[in-house]
Amino acid sequence: MGVVILLVMAAGVAAMLTRKLPTAFALVILAVAIAFLAGAPLTGENSVLDTVIQEGAPALAATMIAILLGSWLGKLLDETGIAGTLVRKIVEFGGDRPVVVALGVLAVSTLVGTVTGSAPAAMLAGIIGIPAMVAVGIPKVTAAGTILMGIAAGMPFELPIWQFFSTALELPVDTVRGFMLKLFPFALAAAILFVLIETRRRGVEHAWSLKSASAKPTSRRKQLGDAPWYALLTPLVPLVLALGLDVAILPSMLAGVLYALVTTTRPGEMNKRLLRTLYGGFEIAAAPIVLFIAIGILLAAVKLPGAVEALEPLIKAVSPQNPVLFVIVFTLLVPLCLYRGPLNVFGLGAGIAGVLIAAGIYPAVAVLGIATSYNQVFGVSDPTSTQTVWSAQYAGVTPQQVMLRTLPYVWAVALGGFCVTAATYL
Amino acid sequence: MSATALLDRTARAAIEELEATDDVEFGVRLLANTPTHESRDPARLRQWVRTADEFGAALAPVACTARVMESDGGLDRGLLARYTSRPVPTVELFTDTLDLAEELIDRLGWRHWYPAGSPRAAAIAHETVHEQLHHGPAKTALKRSLDHVVLRVGRRRLYGHVAGADEIAAHAHARTVCGLGRSPLLLTAALATAADARQRSSHGRKK
Repeated sequence: MGVVILLVMAAGVAAMLTRKLPTAFALVILAVAIAFLAGAPLTGENSVLDTVIQEGAPALAATMIAILLGSWLGKLLDETGIAGTLVRKIVEFGGDRPVVVALGVLAVSTLVGTVTGSAPAAMLAGIIGIPAMVAVGIPKVTAAGTILMGIAAGMPFELPIWQFFSTALELPVDTVRGFMLKLFPFALAAAILFVLIETRRRGVEHAWSLKSASAKPTSRRKQLGDAPWYALLTPLVPLVLALGLDVAILPSMLAGVLYALVTTTRPGEMNKRLLRTLYGGFEIAAAPIVLFIAIGILLAAVKLPGAVEALEPLIKAVSPQNPVLFVIVFTLLVPLCLYRGPLNVFGLGAGIAGVLIAAGIYPAVAVLGIATSYNQVFGVSDPTSTQTVWSAQYAGVTPQQVMLRTLPYVWAVALGGFCVTAATYL
Repeated sequence: MSATALLDRTARAAIEELEATDDVEFGVRLLANTPTHESRDPARLRQWVRTADEFGAALAPVACTARVMESDGGLDRGLLARYTSRPVPTVELFTDTLDLAEELIDRLGWRHWYPAGSPRAAAIAHETVHEQLHHGPAKTALKRSLDHVVLRVGRRRLYGHVAGADEIAAHAHARTVCGLGRSPLLLTAALATAADARQRSSHGRKK
């Protein structure tokens, strides 16, 4: 039966790869198919309807709320001009040295990446950051890559991600935080090296563009102006509270929302702005929340006793236990998290992670190491992920160009993550 | 398809409006469309345009030391020329855009402003300024002349970078050394209008 379940999983991956089905729908169909194949009854204990769908759908509820708060905070960073001001200041202070501007935009992207993810994060840093980098001579692929590498460098501190791994892998938040702190230096070093090496390799580029002087400016930001300097500290607020003062994730993020609000908004306008940005946050968070509902359902399915029993011998046979082999095998498998592949953590990869833990093949914290390392690759180089597509298209290049340019760097980050995992937890 | 056939009524009206627009205004539009200037006072932008224009016009003409190469596909990418510093400093001229520029100048009766061959010469002169600003001390001089102070500590001042000012300087330099009657920015805007008309026309034909 295990082989049949794996074949069904392969069919699910094919459906996602060929875009026959949206990822979330494919995951739910997969989950129901796996549950039936595992011999789960329709209702009752460990059943398709009660366990997989009813209990699975809200299993990642805390993550969904964290995603919503991150999106809300992101919307506030945009509407209050905080993100734009950060980029503008960087260009003003370092604009005649393109590498300084790129490093500055990288820092802003990293800060934004700690707050929120996906395309909204890329937009926050990239809407001004990408054209600003291009204006000082940074080539377009490097500019798009800088935004993505920056967001990925912030990802180890992205609180909704902590919440996701904590709930999905049933690990305390402290454990997730502990591993993320070990992963962060690799992500940061790769991001800085990307900027330094790529700006040196590619040099500067200035184009006589036809669009430069023809259009009358129509920017809606005209009225925004600069946010005050103390408001620019907003992205640090949730981080300092959660990381430094051990405050729980959701209150830390709420504190960030409130700080952004009181430092930028007149008292009479606060209610209006809070509601407007919250509703805007719902729009941004809709897609990831749907995905997390589907992942919760899939996790519930692969954790059913029948599924674990069927998959355990097969997965055990191919999972390396030797630390060196562990690093080599999982490093070689990195491309499988691209193009919505089977190791994509926000797809079937979550199900595989669930199987690895439920079957006791690796300790949960080692699975955390595998999943977060792949997430660093997926977050930057996957040409189908929304942040990569948006950044590339906004810069005027293809997602594949960005993938080729960034993949060596994030592959190295994943290697670092696997080494830490093997050395610490195997 | 030639420029003659491409200038529909909308494009002609738009170009007439461009022709009546002050050269400095094109510079202001360029800066206003450059990120980081969204909330700036138009008067401030105008002042920067004038300063950058004077700076570029006063730059001593220098020979282009970069490799010059020609290629096609500029209209699809919306480019007339491009300077890249690596692997070796190179000025890339997009011949399809330059051909359209020459054709457009004839069609619009702008030859007294843009003599034959001047778009190509202006493109090289323009990109040479970028090379000069990238490698030499001129960049600091331009920054000082714009007088955009972002930090004062006692008598010390830190001058901020004005994104897009180098572009204005490069266009002004090209205008001066090539003896153009109007800014290359007018020609650029007209080219963008003609290229859009060309695109509209080809979409219409596909339908």
